[in-house]
Amino acid sequence: MKSVIEEVELLAPGHRMCAGCGLAISTRLALNVAGINTIVVLPTGCLEVTTTQYPETSWRVPFIHVAFENAAAVASGIDVALEMMGRKGINVLAIGGDGGTFDIGFQALSGMFERGHRVTYICHDNEAYMNTGIQRSSATPYAAWTTTSPYGRYSIGKKKRKKPIGIIAVAHDIPYVATATIAYYEDYQRKVKKALSMDGPAFIHVLVPCPTGWRFPPDKTVEISRLAVETGVFVLWEVEGGRMENLKVTVKPKKRKPVEEYLMPQRRFSHLFKPERRQDVIDKIQRTIDEKCERYGL
Amino acid sequence: MKKEEYKLKKITIGAIISEPGSSIKYKTGSWRSYKPILTEFTPPCTRECPARIKVREYISLIKEKHFEEAYKLLKDKIPFPVTIGRVCHHPCEKKCYRGQFDEPIAINILKRFIADYALKNKKKPSKVEITKKEKIAIIGSGPAGLSAAYKLVKMGYSVTVFEALPVAGGIPRFGIPDYRLPKNVLETEIDDIKSLGVEIKLNTSITDIKHLRKQYEAVFIAVGVQKSRKLNVPGEELDGVICGLEFLKSLNLEKKVSLGKKVIVIGGGNVATDVARSALRLGAETFIVYRRSRKEMPAIKEGVEEAEREGVQIKYLASPKKILGTNKVSGIECVRMKLGEPDESGRKRPIPIEGSEFVIEADTIILAIGEYPDFSFLKGSVKTEKQRIVVDPKSLATDQPGVFAGGDVVTGPATVIEAIAQGTKAAVCIDRYLRGEPMKYGEEALPLIELEKMNLSMVETKSRIKSHSLPVKERMGNFKEVNLGFTEEEALEEAERCLSCGSCKLCKLCSIYCPDNAAKMGETEAEINLDYCKGCGICENECPCGVIIMELEVK
Ligand SMILES: Cc1cc2nc3c(=O)[nH]c(=O)nc-3n(C[C@H](O)[C@H](O)[C@H](O)COP(=O)(O)OP(=O)(O)OC[C@H]3O[C@@H](n4cnc5c(N)ncnc54)[C@H](O)[C@@H]3O)c2cc1C
Ligand SMILES: Cc1ncc(C[n+]2csc(CCOP(=O)(O)OP(=O)(O)O)c2C)c(N)n1
Ligand SMILES: [Mg+2]
Repeated sequence: MKSVIEEVELLAPGHRMCAGCGLAISTRLALNVAGINTIVVLPTGCLEVTTTQYPETSWRVPFIHVAFENAAAVASGIDVALEMMGRKGINVLAIGGDGGTFDIGFQALSGMFERGHRVTYICHDNEAYMNTGIQRSSATPYAAWTTTSPYGRYSIGKKKRKKPIGIIAVAHDIPYVATATIAYYEDYQRKVKKALSMDGPAFIHVLVPCPTGWRFPPDKTVEISRLAVETGVFVLWEVEGGRMENLKVTVKPKKRKPVEEYLMPQRRFSHLFKPERRQDVIDKIQRTIDEKCERYGL
Repeated sequence: MKKEEYKLKKITIGAIISEPGSSIKYKTGSWRSYKPILTEFTPPCTRECPARIKVREYISLIKEKHFEEAYKLLKDKIPFPVTIGRVCHHPCEKKCYRGQFDEPIAINILKRFIADYALKNKKKPSKVEITKKEKIAIIGSGPAGLSAAYKLVKMGYSVTVFEALPVAGGIPRFGIPDYRLPKNVLETEIDDIKSLGVEIKLNTSITDIKHLRKQYEAVFIAVGVQKSRKLNVPGEELDGVICGLEFLKSLNLEKKVSLGKKVIVIGGGNVATDVARSALRLGAETFIVYRRSRKEMPAIKEGVEEAEREGVQIKYLASPKKILGTNKVSGIECVRMKLGEPDESGRKRPIPIEGSEFVIEADTIILAIGEYPDFSFLKGSVKTEKQRIVVDPKSLATDQPGVFAGGDVVTGPATVIEAIAQGTKAAVCIDRYLRGEPMKYGEEALPLIELEKMNLSMVETKSRIKSHSLPVKERMGNFKEVNLGFTEEEALEEAERCLSCGSCKLCKLCSIYCPDNAAKMGETEAEINLDYCKGCGICENECPCGVIIMELEVK
């Protein structure tokens, strides 16, 4: 195993992210590849509020805080400005939450893709609006509990499935789209490097487990991230040149684990096991994964 | 706007300027209720080694190409790293955690690699000054006796070793054949012991221990077990019936033995396989006759496998009934056996099958059915029981004050590494005895690392590297060494497979996964910056070596 974290840490400690936060790990990994010549564009969300506690900042790279919905638009502007100024070799990195990307920031993102800006957009998907208290988003998976998708006698949690944001990004015919997660840091960092080298928009969808919102102990963040891949809940792939037929699965689990192993440790799924086991729901989730994995050749 | 114009325009915004990275002022360590502690544990290899050799440590030194230091680590602990790297039965590998993951580390071959490296590059040690007034006698120059001598001379004692034979080294010298242990290898290690100042008196059989005890303040008995057992079947007195250890002794010491065309070896231990493989090299068609099945064979597995590969024919479940011939042996009559209930040794008891007798022709029959000690020199003064000298297991002290015993003579026929371990232990206890301190030997051992504590999720499977060996057809008619070990490249590759159970290997995983950038690599292990550590415990959960322990922190 080779080291990837360098001595220069571009995200300073002292940030206020929860103990065991996946966002912090993901941001460290990404910045480590992007390096100091990077402008970070950050919409409102957990990562933003916890790294910019007035009058301090955790960022050691140029950083701009933007509104919840317009990270991609501002990043586009920076790209154009850099071009106008004739500045080369500067990475523009937008980092949006799932709320800020799948939902409210989506039209700005789609526009940025269409205009072909040289921006790498990382979506930190923690599967809910965590910063405002765990509300469901279009990234929240089926059957997960959030404060706005409660479970009870008439509900098993979120009724709708997760939006396939990566595939939607591919459909925009952009140079590079990939999925990643923190446990597989080498895979993730390789993808960030590749994304930054593209002459046009690149999109990386990163699954970042959230101990607070997913209701698991903070030492399990990386483990849950790994389980997501090992169970096939989250498939690690990349697509170059906007062609689905070029899709390449980059990390193949040796033997796919049953989805239960992923669901069980997270209390946002506890209603599937207690007070009585909802085998029907677990089976349904497993079936969806099996079908998906078959498509990906897993 | 033209590009040039834009460049000229300077925009100033009035705002509080935050220093980049200024959040470091805020010490998130205050949030913590559990703190990670780097802890070291004993790995299973060391726990399993009778001499508690620091396997993980020397493998880690190999990884860093510090071969010299790896050798020193071995040599500090035992005087025979080069020998043991060739003949050890390596119980360490059986318990190696990597074995539960894919295949165990080739610990013994790595040890041999280090030892071979040292053999080419090492210097003679210089004499140790005698600082203690007491003189110590050691009877027997086998691994047990010489290991005790090595330790004692380094403590500053004057040590004399008495050896009945014209050569020093015990069974490794006169029993183990050259194709497994070239004699120059062992001799350099014995020379080292002599250079330190140990005196070895060859051709000096001790015949009365009481006499010796009067001249020395302490005596260590390490005479091994040397006498071959008899079969007790008719025909045993015939010409052409010889004892295994005697045969090996003449082979090793005189180099000339004639066996005829067909040889039958009786027995299933190390002596039997060594005898058979030697007979094969002398050009005889060779059989081993053993009364139980392969599973019960006490010989080291590699020895049996190599014997078969070389062409030794093993007849399992067969027992000799009588030796045939008039003056000279002509063959042997055996009876087939079946296995019954386990006996006191835990192995299944062989039972003869009536009427299943058969005959094998032979020119020579070699008995390798066990050895027993010769206690005549004790003159009844030291307590023995069931052909073993009785000792206090904690100190190896016999019932006679100042008389200690160890090695095969205490354990019964065992292994070189066990003999070395006992010799070392005896040395420590003899020293304590002479200084009037309580004689208890116990190395401070850290608790064993549990496999469950080690997160191996990010470890990729990789097969064990196979070592080289002499092709079978080049082995006949000579006693050239069979196992050829690793090249440097192979050793480095194999060492890389070591999981470093229970000790930080600076893999950086904790620092990669730490949300708060609180883990950094120090000189020898990871260091946690408690100013920022929020106590999440990811490092504990992810550590592949199992060395991070979260401890409740009472503030
Ligand atoms: C053929 C054979 C192959 C073996 N192969 C292996 C192997 O591959 N790996 C392994 O780990 N183990 C092996 N063993 C076992 C191993 O050799 C012994 O366990 C080990 O040598 C015991 O060491 P020791 O010092 O107790 O005794 P020994 O090695 O037996 O040494 C005792 C010494 O004391 C001397 N002596 C005896 N009586 C007197 C006296 N009265 N006065 C003076 N000197 C005396 C003897 O001459 C001898 O030199 C093998 C054994 C045999 C017989
Ligand atoms: C237009 C607008 N609506 C609502 C908010 C309140 N708001 C701030 S952060 C946030 C949730 C962010 O969720 P997500 O983008 O998933 O990021 P996370 O906090 O989960 O990392 C919301 C709803 C806002 N800042 N702006
Ligand atoms: Mg979110």
